[in-house]
Amino acid sequence: MSASLIIPTLVSPVVVSLFVPAIFTGLIVGLIGLMAIAYQKNDLSALILTDIVGIGMLILVAAVGTDLAEALILPGLVVELAEILAISEILMSREMKKKGKSAELIPLPLSMDMEVMTTAPTFLAIILIAYGAFLSGFTGGAVAGGGILVYVLSKRMRGVPADTWEGIAGVSGIAWCLWLVGFLLFFVFPQYWLLALFLAAFGIFIKVAFKAGLIGVIGREEFSKK
Amino acid sequence: MLDVYIWFYTGVALTILGSLGTAIGPGVKDPIVRTLNTEVAAVGVSLIFLTYNHTIALLTYIAATAIITMILLRAIVRLEEVGAEL
Repeated sequence: MSASLIIPTLVSPVVVSLFVPAIFTGLIVGLIGLMAIAYQKNDLSALILTDIVGIGMLILVAAVGTDLAEALILPGLVVELAEILAISEILMSREMKKKGKSAELIPLPLSMDMEVMTTAPTFLAIILIAYGAFLSGFTGGAVAGGGILVYVLSKRMRGVPADTWEGIAGVSGIAWCLWLVGFLLFFVFPQYWLLALFLAAFGIFIKVAFKAGLIGVIGREEFSKK
Repeated sequence: MLDVYIWFYTGVALTILGSLGTAIGPGVKDPIVRTLNTEVAAVGVSLIFLTYNHTIALLTYIAATAIITMILLRAIVRLEEVGAEL
């Protein structure tokens, strides 16, 4: 069977020659992780080992070696991150219910009450959001979201009104629709590709930025509860 | 061409060694040692991404690994403060 029938000629021969070893590496790593999870009695160890299984998945996707692989790795990373965050929260709350004790939300050996946290955050947030808007797309959204997060976490004492955050959640939904419309335009009216590109890029930018900002909302509510 | 293969197979070796170390390595009863062992595998994956020129994926992966390590360490410390069996 000739491979050139299924592999387009624009894929470089290096990528083609690395395909089989990469697939096997991914399978071996995934198998090691899953076997180790099967033999674990400890929940926390199983959580750490899911990281290894995720690594195996990433290698399998990366083996494709084209732009498609890169586009698939990014959501894979986000899903892995969200999964580990959610499972760790469940583990902690379950143990706390069992023992009837509670621990600090963010256990830090030193106090974070620093001068920088009261004077600089506005400036830092503006720079991060402006740079994120310039980058646009997924990466820009992450940068701008980091800016919003810095602002919320450092100004948490003053408190941001709850209505503002609900409004932001609504805007996040509208941005998601923008992204979908942009994506649809690519296929329905290919001649307007520039408009579609900008709709998709800035839709996902606003979406990701406000998603990261929402982490700050959860944190702020936890802080004000105490 | 030789360079590409050197980076790739170093990445493969580091990834497999790191995942083996996380699964059955010395001292993995301690969850902190286990978490630190995942970093070896993470460096291996970064090298593989580097071979394939996945720049954005590599940058995002480095950021995600740092955040995942922080989440895991926070979970370990909080569980130890509560007094759970680790």
